[in-house]
Amino acid sequence: MYKMICMLLMSGMLAGFQSAQAAPLKAKLVMPGDKSWDGMVIARDGDWLEFSTGQSARSIRIGVSTIKELIFDVKIDKEKLNEMNRNREYERVISALDRTLETYADYFDIPSNLVEYNVLLMELYFKVGNYEKSLEISSKIAGDDRDPALQEKSRVFQALALIESGRAAEAESLLSEYGWDENLGDDAPPEKLFITAKLMVLKKQYNAAMELVAKIIAFNSQDPDWMRPAELFCAEVYTELGMYDSAEEVIRQIAMLYKNTNEDDQAKKLQLKVEKLRAEQKLKESLNPEEA
Amino acid sequence: MSLIHRYRGNRFRMLLAVAFLAAGAAYAQDYSSLGISDVIGNADRMLQRGDYKGAIPALSEVIRRAKDMTDPQMIETVQTCRYQLARSYYQTGDIPAGMRVLEVYLEKEPRKMEKNALRMMAQGFFEVQEWEKIEELANRLLSLPDLEPEDLFNANLLLGQSYYQQQKWAESVKPLSYAANNTKEERIKSLCEIMIVRSLVESENWPELFVWIPRIYRTDSKYDISLNLTLMKAGKARYDEAGRTDDKIDYLNALMLYRMVLPREELLNFANNRIRSLTSKLESDMKIGIKQSVADERKADIEKIKESMKTLDDLPPYEEEVTFRIGQIYKDVKRYWEGYVLFDKLYRQDRLSDIGEAAMLQSVLILYEVNEIDRAEERILVYLEEQPQGQYARTLLSMMQRDNLIKQNFDKVVDLLKYIDTLPATTDQDELSLQADLHYMGAFGYFQKKEFKLAGDQFSIILEKYPNSTHFSDSRYFRGMTFMLQGDYANALTDFVTYQDKFGSGEHYAASMFREAVSLFGLERVVESEKTFTKFIDTFPEDPLVSEAHSMRGDIEAAKDGQDNPETPEDEYDPHTLDRALADYRMAIDKATTALQASYPAFQAAKVFKLEFKWQEIIDLMNYYMDRWEEMADVAEAVYWIGQSQIELDQVGEAVIAYVDAIERFGNDPEQQGVDKIIYELLNVANHHLEEEARDDLLSTLERKLTNVDERMEVLKLRLQVAQALLLGDEASSTLGAELNAAGTDLAITTPVALALMCDAAVDSANVEEMRRLYDYFLATYEESDLLWHAYRAKTHELLIAGDLQGVLAIIDEAQGLFGAESYMGWAQLIKADTLFKRKEYELAEEAYNMVLGVAEWRGPIFAEAMYGMGQCRLAQADLKAAHSFFQRTYLLFKSYANGDWAAKGYLSAATTLVELGRNEDAVKTLNAMLEDQYTSSNPLAQEGRELLKKYGGL
Repeated sequence: MYKMICMLLMSGMLAGFQSAQAAPLKAKLVMPGDKSWDGMVIARDGDWLEFSTGQSARSIRIGVSTIKELIFDVKIDKEKLNEMNRNREYERVISALDRTLETYADYFDIPSNLVEYNVLLMELYFKVGNYEKSLEISSKIAGDDRDPALQEKSRVFQALALIESGRAAEAESLLSEYGWDENLGDDAPPEKLFITAKLMVLKKQYNAAMELVAKIIAFNSQDPDWMRPAELFCAEVYTELGMYDSAEEVIRQIAMLYKNTNEDDQAKKLQLKVEKLRAEQKLKESLNPEEA
Repeated sequence: MSLIHRYRGNRFRMLLAVAFLAAGAAYAQDYSSLGISDVIGNADRMLQRGDYKGAIPALSEVIRRAKDMTDPQMIETVQTCRYQLARSYYQTGDIPAGMRVLEVYLEKEPRKMEKNALRMMAQGFFEVQEWEKIEELANRLLSLPDLEPEDLFNANLLLGQSYYQQQKWAESVKPLSYAANNTKEERIKSLCEIMIVRSLVESENWPELFVWIPRIYRTDSKYDISLNLTLMKAGKARYDEAGRTDDKIDYLNALMLYRMVLPREELLNFANNRIRSLTSKLESDMKIGIKQSVADERKADIEKIKESMKTLDDLPPYEEEVTFRIGQIYKDVKRYWEGYVLFDKLYRQDRLSDIGEAAMLQSVLILYEVNEIDRAEERILVYLEEQPQGQYARTLLSMMQRDNLIKQNFDKVVDLLKYIDTLPATTDQDELSLQADLHYMGAFGYFQKKEFKLAGDQFSIILEKYPNSTHFSDSRYFRGMTFMLQGDYANALTDFVTYQDKFGSGEHYAASMFREAVSLFGLERVVESEKTFTKFIDTFPEDPLVSEAHSMRGDIEAAKDGQDNPETPEDEYDPHTLDRALADYRMAIDKATTALQASYPAFQAAKVFKLEFKWQEIIDLMNYYMDRWEEMADVAEAVYWIGQSQIELDQVGEAVIAYVDAIERFGNDPEQQGVDKIIYELLNVANHHLEEEARDDLLSTLERKLTNVDERMEVLKLRLQVAQALLLGDEASSTLGAELNAAGTDLAITTPVALALMCDAAVDSANVEEMRRLYDYFLATYEESDLLWHAYRAKTHELLIAGDLQGVLAIIDEAQGLFGAESYMGWAQLIKADTLFKRKEYELAEEAYNMVLGVAEWRGPIFAEAMYGMGQCRLAQADLKAAHSFFQRTYLLFKSYANGDWAAKGYLSAATTLVELGRNEDAVKTLNAMLEDQYTSSNPLAQEGRELLKKYGGL
């Protein structure tokens, strides 16, 4: 018994020692019923949050699970961030976000406005090819059902990150879990078509992938969010299929429609690849005219 | 579209108030009796009350009295009154009067309210739609210094609209863009964007349009019906233009425009919702109380939406057409899959409609393009089953047939012919032409399958029913070919001659003449054949077939062998036919366009030289042939001939060296079958021309080659092993064959020499599986080999073991058809006779045995066996005397064969037959003779003879 009490005391001490002791963070605390207080988040202590309203000398302790939302006053220049993003300075944006969000790391699991920054990070990590990081963030957000749109988006990135990491079996199982591997008709949502097509490319089923990508382009041409990545992907799959004329046609259209975008940058690189492949093909043909 | 800009009436009122503060009060309505200050005061009060109508006379009076004054303050007052008078007119609805006043105001100085005045003027002109004036005013406004952001916004909005209304599309974009970018009112923003898109479309400013479009498609502006109609119209214009000019850029622009067009239902739904929300808002605002003008304006907006909905409603269905066109453009720019999914959608929506049918055709074309052949064919077959009357039935059938013909799927090509019968009759020339294509391709399908009769039938259909077909003349020629290949030379001749008569400039004219000569040869009309070959050679000396013509004419000459020359009287000897044959063969080598064409005359010529014992000529000719065709020549065969000639010239050592060298050089290529021939020839030379020592040297050489051979050269290694075994004798050969079978040798490295040993070994060991495997491979791979009979022998034994007697007879017939009564074929005839005997067809069996005795080359144990067999046949038919006679001849004539086995059997059978005849004494004599005969006395069967002798009392 004595031993048991000692152990409990020890664990309590350790927990206390580990509680967050960073500088107070300005935030609005929203509780169920939408009652809210402006104040400061003082610290995190396991399942408890210390919050000060400033009206009382003493801070209050609130169970983390009872909080509806924390709206932090995140000190970040959104305009500048957007501008850097527009300029495709992704690494800089990631760095800025990482620095800023580091302060809030102890509160990521509490519903908060931090999720929008994490979503941005998730996208940016994906864009720069850090799929592991993107997957780490997207997997966390995917479990948060407060905002269905964000949840859906994070699931998309979760699947894409798995696919881009070459983890086909896990991606396949995830798609099956979300029911994205069914009903891939003309009316299927573009993201569902896109992910499944990506998975098919991973499995080297290029024609099947191409058919799905073509559906995004043909039936979602007014969707500005999915058209760009779909067109780039389309050019990539045409390249894989050895249909270089088709790939170049898509690349031309990307240059025309999506100037100064990430997709435009990628398409330019792809153009170089196509030219190289063409040259190799010509060389091969000249060496083996009968096979040509 | 209503004029959109913001009023700043409150500010103006303040200015007027300031200007008139000093003017004092005036109340009288008859201003003529009032001082000017009172009039001004009156006007001010009324303006402040909002009594614009009341203010008009007062303001007019002030202007009338003070307009000519020169005092600067009064001048300014008059200008202010003018501005307020104009404003009052506007407020009371008399805009023309207001505009007249503003016109004067804008001509005079000072103009403190110039910006407002200009905007009011612009609105006035807006009412009467005088866009040029608005343009002028807006430009004047923009030229003013120190404009507030709101002034800039208004001026640009006015200017943009004026340009837009004057269809100055390119000019309108900039001011409208400014307005769209500087307003927070969604309605204005949306209207500006829609105008911008229209202007960009009309001015064909595609690059800028494509920048704007994604922006617009993030907003509800994309649901604007007029915008969608504009895009669709522009898309169609671009598409039509592209059709005329085939300009790719036009196609692309059409594509971008078309793919922005939303479906009608989506547009109408949005418009209905919009009307509902606008109406509801208007009703609630009217209850609260809003100005009538505002209410009217909002009602007008609702009406405009309704009008655009009606326009959309009145349009014939466009979605499918747009979808089809987008698909078409994608296909044209090689974005095949995007095109496919669109066509596929139309096809699945209603594949029986016109557009569905057209989409089906397009989708199939694309499926072929992207190599999804199974899907394309599946779709074609569904169509042919469902709509044999469909407009694309023949086109699609032709497409599928052609593709399969190219891919050499000949079964499919001919199978598709069954659909021709389901096609409706037609008189359309294009359709008839397509139908002739179908028969033509079907004919080639059969032709390639070597079903020449059926191929000929298809060509006949074209000749009978499609005289206008482009294949008509070709069909005549190819039908002739089908006849020729069936050995029907008479009909072939008719077609080839007819072709030449009717199509003097036809593609196959020369070939027809050549085939005519071949047909004549087939009909044994040799004289005419030779003449026709000569005509062909003279007429078409450079034709690719001329080499073959020389070869065939050479064959005719050689066959005469110094006699029967058509040019000389009958029975007159012509000593020059072989010379002429050789000349033709040389020409054939010279004119050959392929190695095969050259090989035939080269080796034919060698045979002729051989007849004349011209060995050096053979060597020279073979060297000439090899120099001419180098590595493409049948070098091994040529070396074989050289070696043979060298032996004849007593240059045996050189021949052996040449043979071994050829084996080593070409032996790893299984297709060089001449190497196998050389191996046999080497065996022949060793057995008949080499001394013991030289044979040992040869064996050592082969052993050395085998030791040094690269392990990767498996074919060569095996050939060397076989050569060595053959030289060592039958036992070594049998052992090697058995070892190769036991090792499960990969047949890909075997050639006929090895396969022959393996076949024989399989027979010896009664290995049925191996017999089957070897026969199948041998026949499929080396159909032309001289050693193929080993495979037939193996197959025969396989069937014998299976008890398939009918099969045995059939395979023997086939083997004999190929190899006849060659020295090595005695086994076939003997087994045939045995099989007939087993089937109790004794007369046929005896006849078959008897045939064995007719082939001198088979003399040996086979003769004995055949004779004995004949006896058995008679015995089975109870013709004892004749049977005895055959048995007697067996032991009398063939004593020495097979260690006396057959003689012993003959003795024993003769004795038992004599017993059956009741001639026991003669039987005893026969048995005694057997035991005294030196060939049979020590035979194992002698014991049986002794026992019989004891039985019949001889001992």
